[in-house]
Amino acid sequence: METTAVEYVVFALCAVIVLAGAFGVIWFRNPVQAALSLVATLFGVAVLFLNMNAQFLAAVQVIVYTGAIVVLILFVIMLLGVDVEEDLEEEPLVGQRVIALVIAAGVAGLVVAGVTLGGADLVSGARSVTGSIVDDVSNIEQIGRLLFTEYVFALEITAVLLTIAVIAAVVMSRRPSEVEPLPAENASMEPPEPMEPEAEEVFD
Amino acid sequence: MNILAAVGVDNPPLDWHALAPELVLVGLLAVLLLVDAFGGERSRWAMPSLTGIGLLAALIPVATLAYDGVVRSMFDGAYVVDNYALLFKALFLIAGYVVVLLSTNYIAEGDYWEGEYYQLLVASLLGMTVMASARDLISVFLALELLSIPAYMLAAWRKRDLGSEEAGMKYYLMGVFASAILLYGMSLLYGMTGSTLLVDIAGAIEGTEVPALVALAVVLVVVGFAFKVSAVPFHTWAPDTYQGAPTPVTAFLAVGSKAAGFVALMTVVLIAFPTQPRIFEPLIWALAAVTMIVGNLIALRQTNLVRMLAYSGVAQAGYILAPLAVAGVSGASAAMAVEAVSTYLVIYAAMNLGAFAVVIAVARKTGSAEIDSYGGLFSYSPVLAVCMSVFLFSLAGIPPLAGWYGKLTIFLALIEPGTLAGYILAVIVGLASVIALFYYARVAKVMFVDPAPDGDTTPIRVPMSLAAALTITVAVTLVVGVLPQVLARVTGAETFLSIGG
Repeated sequence: METTAVEYVVFALCAVIVLAGAFGVIWFRNPVQAALSLVATLFGVAVLFLNMNAQFLAAVQVIVYTGAIVVLILFVIMLLGVDVEEDLEEEPLVGQRVIALVIAAGVAGLVVAGVTLGGADLVSGARSVTGSIVDDVSNIEQIGRLLFTEYVFALEITAVLLTIAVIAAVVMSRRPSEVEPLPAENASMEPPEPMEPEAEEVFD
Repeated sequence: MNILAAVGVDNPPLDWHALAPELVLVGLLAVLLLVDAFGGERSRWAMPSLTGIGLLAALIPVATLAYDGVVRSMFDGAYVVDNYALLFKALFLIAGYVVVLLSTNYIAEGDYWEGEYYQLLVASLLGMTVMASARDLISVFLALELLSIPAYMLAAWRKRDLGSEEAGMKYYLMGVFASAILLYGMSLLYGMTGSTLLVDIAGAIEGTEVPALVALAVVLVVVGFAFKVSAVPFHTWAPDTYQGAPTPVTAFLAVGSKAAGFVALMTVVLIAFPTQPRIFEPLIWALAAVTMIVGNLIALRQTNLVRMLAYSGVAQAGYILAPLAVAGVSGASAAMAVEAVSTYLVIYAAMNLGAFAVVIAVARKTGSAEIDSYGGLFSYSPVLAVCMSVFLFSLAGIPPLAGWYGKLTIFLALIEPGTLAGYILAVIVGLASVIALFYYARVAKVMFVDPAPDGDTTPIRVPMSLAAALTITVAVTLVVGVLPQVLARVTGAETFLSIGG
């Protein structure tokens, strides 16, 4: 498929939005503004997906990332209080900035390596997997069919995975109703050290 | 009327027999959820037995499938039930059963009772059994997440204990980090080949135009799994997590989780990357060598038995990785490596679970896992002391205990291809085993020679479930050690897709 002029224009616009949003995330001091910049970035990526004929990915990008995840981030920010100004000069972890720079450079290196090493033959003769596999059937319909035929087992396993993840999250956040103190006789036998508590001190 | 048929979608052919072990586990999970929700206080005692029975029930279809002996493949080969998968399904289910036996009293008597413990355990086991059959990137990744996510929560089970919280947190963060790296590699693989099937990937990257990109993908995938199996330098989470988590959970992580990581690594490397030995062999070689040496050296300095077992587990991961480092030389060496890794994983599961069973039993009296607190164990609980020695010397690889046979298969697999790299690694395995003998023997010396630390020599009451767990693990350790052909018949007959052909 030839790339049309419209696609170039859309790409250029979205690239600006994505980069500006990403820049905003680290530039704004106010966490709410930073989170909203993230929305711009994620939305721009969604449009880029549309541009590449990946309608399903675009929808998922908007629903999951822009919709759910950023809302969750905003929730947490609101709960913690927006008016708390963080002192950005102070590093909670020693050498945090240096490590962050190294990791960022590493990730950027990975991306650049992926693109440059691949070159024009990035996809080894096979069809690009971002486009639709069969041309006259819509992308979403093909994904739906695959999900319920070839990948139906993966789909069901995902269902179990989500169920158990919810159970685990509830268990984690729930406080046990009756909090019994640890038996005293163990405390005298083996005083628990702050960093290396014994696994068995709950026993008689 | 079938809805899928109505919209013109063909039902994928499902082989219910092949899926039976997983279905039993899903059913068990549902039953446990209901019993916990409506059972009230009585469920506290019913849950462990129910879980145990369910796990044994899941073994029945595994046995019938093995008896049947047909290689079953579903979803275009994404899900395969062959000897290899069945061996590991059986291993995971039996190991899970032993963990339930270990947990029964620990969880019910401690003040950390919550019914969800067994649900999480079963869900994690389900992920492991899926992993044994997974032959495409999506199933492998989902299985890995399904077995890991409940395990994160289990590690943090004692919520009011800082150590346990630390254990869960570290395990979670490192696990997510590993998943991210793994996904990066997998997405590169999918981007290059356009397929998630391991077999197709192998075909697509053979003689590829962009070896550097393939190398990047292979390295990222192997490193992602290296976190899971706690290979040095990706092992830093293991000691703190093992020490902080409740001991039965530690046993589960050290055996089940690690074995599943190895199964995944072995499946992906040997099916998807057999044409790329130049990339994965040096990487795994270096990981194995460093893991063995560092794990054993740090284990020498430990004063806490659980921590020592954690580092010894790291070292053992090095032994298990070693055969994979020469697996790419030929079809025969790959088959030998699969046999060696499977054999060692089975033996490792028995002896390590046994060692943790003794730790749990002794802690019921002393409330401690410090090595000093094992002083005089032989004088007041001779059976426990002898059991512990059996497991420790088996871990060290002393004949006639099972560990020596595991080491032997590893040596044979390393020497088989006749390459210099293989010989050097075999020498390192030998040296590492000698170092390991020191710290295993030191624990035995404390148990047999040293006096009890506080003069308290009342015998230890071992509850029935713990005794059952000890019986199973001692039996396996002794029988495999004396009659290795029993296990060799199973592991030697493994048919493994795309190997040896």
